[in-house]
Amino acid sequence: MDQFTQLTVDALTLGSVYALIALGYTLIYGVLKLLNFAHGDVFMVGSFIGFGVLQLLGGTDNPVVPVWALLVIITFAAMAGCATLGVVIERFAYRPLRDAPRIAPLISALGVSFFLANSMQLLFGADPRNYNTFDLSNGALYLRGIDIGNVRVPLLRIITIVAAFVLMVLLWFLVNRTRTGKAMRATSFDREAAAMMGIDIDRVIVFTFVLGSALAGAAGVLFAVRVPTTVSIGFVAGLKGFTAAVIGGIGSIPGAMAGGLILGFAESYTQGYVSTKWSDLVVFSILIAFMIFRPQGLLGRPDISKV
Amino acid sequence: MKKAIGLALAVLATSVVAASAQGAQKGSSAIAAGVSCKGTMKIAFLTPLTGGAGFLGNEQGSWAKYAVKTLAPAMHLKIQLVMGDTPVEQGAAVAQTLAQKYVGDRKVVGIIGPSTSGAVVAATQTFFQAGLAHISPSATKTDLTKRENGKLEGTPAFFRDVPGDYIQGPTDANYMIKTLHVKKVVIMDFQEPYSTGLAAAVERTLKAGGVSTTRLSASNTTTDYSAFVTKVPNDADIVFFPTQKPGDAQTFAQQLLEQGKKAKVFGGDGSNGPGQFKAPGSYVSNFAPDITGIKADAKIIAGWKKDNPKSTVGSFGPPSYGAVQIMLSAIKRACAADHGVIKNRHDVLRQMKRVKISNWILGGKFAFSTKSNDPLNAKFYIFKIQQDGSYKLVG
Repeated sequence: MDQFTQLTVDALTLGSVYALIALGYTLIYGVLKLLNFAHGDVFMVGSFIGFGVLQLLGGTDNPVVPVWALLVIITFAAMAGCATLGVVIERFAYRPLRDAPRIAPLISALGVSFFLANSMQLLFGADPRNYNTFDLSNGALYLRGIDIGNVRVPLLRIITIVAAFVLMVLLWFLVNRTRTGKAMRATSFDREAAAMMGIDIDRVIVFTFVLGSALAGAAGVLFAVRVPTTVSIGFVAGLKGFTAAVIGGIGSIPGAMAGGLILGFAESYTQGYVSTKWSDLVVFSILIAFMIFRPQGLLGRPDISKV
Repeated sequence: MKKAIGLALAVLATSVVAASAQGAQKGSSAIAAGVSCKGTMKIAFLTPLTGGAGFLGNEQGSWAKYAVKTLAPAMHLKIQLVMGDTPVEQGAAVAQTLAQKYVGDRKVVGIIGPSTSGAVVAATQTFFQAGLAHISPSATKTDLTKRENGKLEGTPAFFRDVPGDYIQGPTDANYMIKTLHVKKVVIMDFQEPYSTGLAAAVERTLKAGGVSTTRLSASNTTTDYSAFVTKVPNDADIVFFPTQKPGDAQTFAQQLLEQGKKAKVFGGDGSNGPGQFKAPGSYVSNFAPDITGIKADAKIIAGWKKDNPKSTVGSFGPPSYGAVQIMLSAIKRACAADHGVIKNRHDVLRQMKRVKISNWILGGKFAFSTKSNDPLNAKFYIFKIQQDGSYKLVG
């Protein structure tokens, strides 16, 4: 039972980060029909921005603000930085190709991904960056928490899971209960018709990139507060986020959340109950199974072609 | 949507196939035409400069550059050191591609590295066919130089100036048995040649010593080890963690504490990174002692520090200095034997085993074993991580 509880906590932590990444993929795909393969690298940049701001605030050894404020500030800084990066990527890498064949923005996305990873390496080197959150409050974030049976759920994991779910709820509210969200949904449904109804499509697309990239920035920090980050981490994270988005149904917001959690649970339980060697095999087998039997994903809409 | 995803997967698959095809080209048997010893010759260094083990390659590179800068002029050689990046995350294809590139450059007369065992396995046949001597300052997998389980992965052109895992495995395991008196040990590997070989060597000795062992295996791209920590029994004494990314060893140690597990982390030479792995009470082994304690090295260290003022002396750099010293000595001997011209690369290769160094940077004298291309009488050292994160030699 303890192992089950521990694995469930692991799954929720991992899955909530995957879900945030998947949301970025799904938002951008929903509006632009573009698979933004640079998204994983935006996530990586977010983790580096968080690290940089953490150092500016005195690092974990000597923080100049309380721990809770430190975590909030680095998360918002990463979100703001990534949102700006998202706007720049959209403006220079995707907007010029908006009416080009689908392969063109896809290749551009791969190019941006390599550009970001290599630029970061050139600027900051290849060394892993460790937030060293263990040193904050003498390990309190790791050693204190809620006890479930014999399993302690550390504060840092609670913060990660809660923060991710708060962001997801805010996103759901924004998309479903605000005017901007309505414009996003309209653009996603039919871009031309939305434009004819007076919706500023460019603005909606830019806002979508802001939103998706900010979520990637937050995910970057929530990930890197627990494990060291490197310039090469974007590829794997992006691949997992993309898989989660496809499983959930790319273009569907609740689908991305569900896909992220499914991926987290599949990975964690496979490692715990089957074999630690098999987790990637199981995760990507789920992807293949969805592609064969339910290509629209769990909550996505099937494509309807006019014949 | 289906089309878009299909298209995306096709693009990815094409990239992977292209990379694999590039890596799978047959090794060239080109032998360099005569190269004058008065002109500039090249030595190439294959090491991970980027990725999770990038720290290792950068440390090694700085010492190799310093060795070329100081030793080559003293030997009246003009040597250019070229660096090739082999990130551990990208597997064997990169090392293969670089091997082809250097074989094709007739001015390359020797290779330092590859630094990791996996990259050696990928590149050694190509170098061997071209007659290019290559000496690794850190690849420790046993079957690169010695037959193990009927298998020999290395070639006669491969050398190393550090001992192999057939020494490291028993050294680490015996320390656990005799000094730490362990009863239960969890052994991890990362599904690549270095860790699987070392993990097997440790496991053999522990089992022979009556210690209960559990084996866990993680992908080389794993970053979060929570699920693995969950599988560590509460009464395990040690988790043997032979990663090539010390930051991961630190993460693992912290996640053990997070889950209230009492086991300590014991890393191999690949985990030896004081800047990144600093969990108090953990252990690491390494093929090099702390050379700051060797009086004869004081001048070398001072010179290197002058060129690298922000860096500290680690364990991976000095063997790289030594590897360059061995290679330069072999080149010098080949130049002397061939009257100022290296007629072909085999001439350098032939001289490698004859090299002897009296003031070896790791202490004492250096010579190759007569039985293999490994150093004679080399050993591994064990360090314990202190409260302040420093490494103290304990065995």
